[in-house]
Amino acid sequence: MSTPDTGERRRSSDHRPVITELIDEATVQSIAEDVWTALVGEDEILLPIPGELPADVVSSWVDVVGPWTGTVVLTTGRESAAGLTRALLGDHAPAELEDDDVADAFGEIANVVGGNVKAALPGPSALSLPDVGDAPAVRNPADLCRVDVLWRGEPLSISVQGALPALPFPPSTETTLNQNGVSL
Amino acid sequence: MRALVIDDSRAMRRIVSGTLENLGFEVNQAGDGREGLDVLADGSVPDLVTVDWNMPVMDGLQFVSAVRANPAYRAMTIMMVTAESEHTQIVRALAAGAHEYVIKPFTADALRDKVGLLGLLPQEAVL
Repeated sequence: MSTPDTGERRRSSDHRPVITELIDEATVQSIAEDVWTALVGEDEILLPIPGELPADVVSSWVDVVGPWTGTVVLTTGRESAAGLTRALLGDHAPAELEDDDVADAFGEIANVVGGNVKAALPGPSALSLPDVGDAPAVRNPADLCRVDVLWRGEPLSISVQGALPALPFPPSTETTLNQNGVSL
Repeated sequence: MRALVIDDSRAMRRIVSGTLENLGFEVNQAGDGREGLDVLADGSVPDLVTVDWNMPVMDGLQFVSAVRANPAYRAMTIMMVTAESEHTQIVRALAAGAHEYVIKPFTADALRDKVGLLGLLPQEAVL
């Protein structure tokens, strides 16, 4: 006699862990410190002290897709991002930085931090190309591991944030949904 | 000795190129695997290629496979330099034909050591 498939077994194995079950702030901080030492400079220190981000910030991020899916986001003031770019490029930094130079360098730092965060998570996972701009929204505050540091006295945050659940459609969006909430 | 540095990040190309130039390499650069193949097709076959994994157009693994399919590039040494650090990915890169694997972030000394392990340090850098 066959047992009807209630979906219970499938649902119990479909548990998607939140990031705080997989990585802690100390690990994220340690990864960031290693990246700073290797890429930004041997003497560059990240102080684990929260600071208030300025109004004019820029973010860089990479997506991680795997058993845990989400985004690793770095956010700091635009001036700090420019400073990071100069430090990264060292003698190769142009006299005047273009926005593109900052996007490239700050994106690469997110790529390296994100790659090492991914390595600390259950795999296999895929890593996206880096993006730079306004930070993706935090979708689930329970699926967030955030570290706030000071670099050269300026605040910088590193967030490892889950991508699920998907953001609700804004009320103004006239998107037709089917009965499962899928956009038609 | 000549090297080709392939990475979609200009900043990372500058860092890797600078380290290799300090070791005495003459360095060319490319922004993705396709550009890298174009440089090789122009007749500039280097002793060492460093290649990132995640790049637009053609990624590093595709580049390694394409190079290894061409007997003309058999003598070329390939080093993956990437933020991808899962064991399975390292195995895939080596199986595809990469000789060495460097995980970002790296220090200049670590890159120099890897180049030395490959027996590619110019004589003046060994002394």
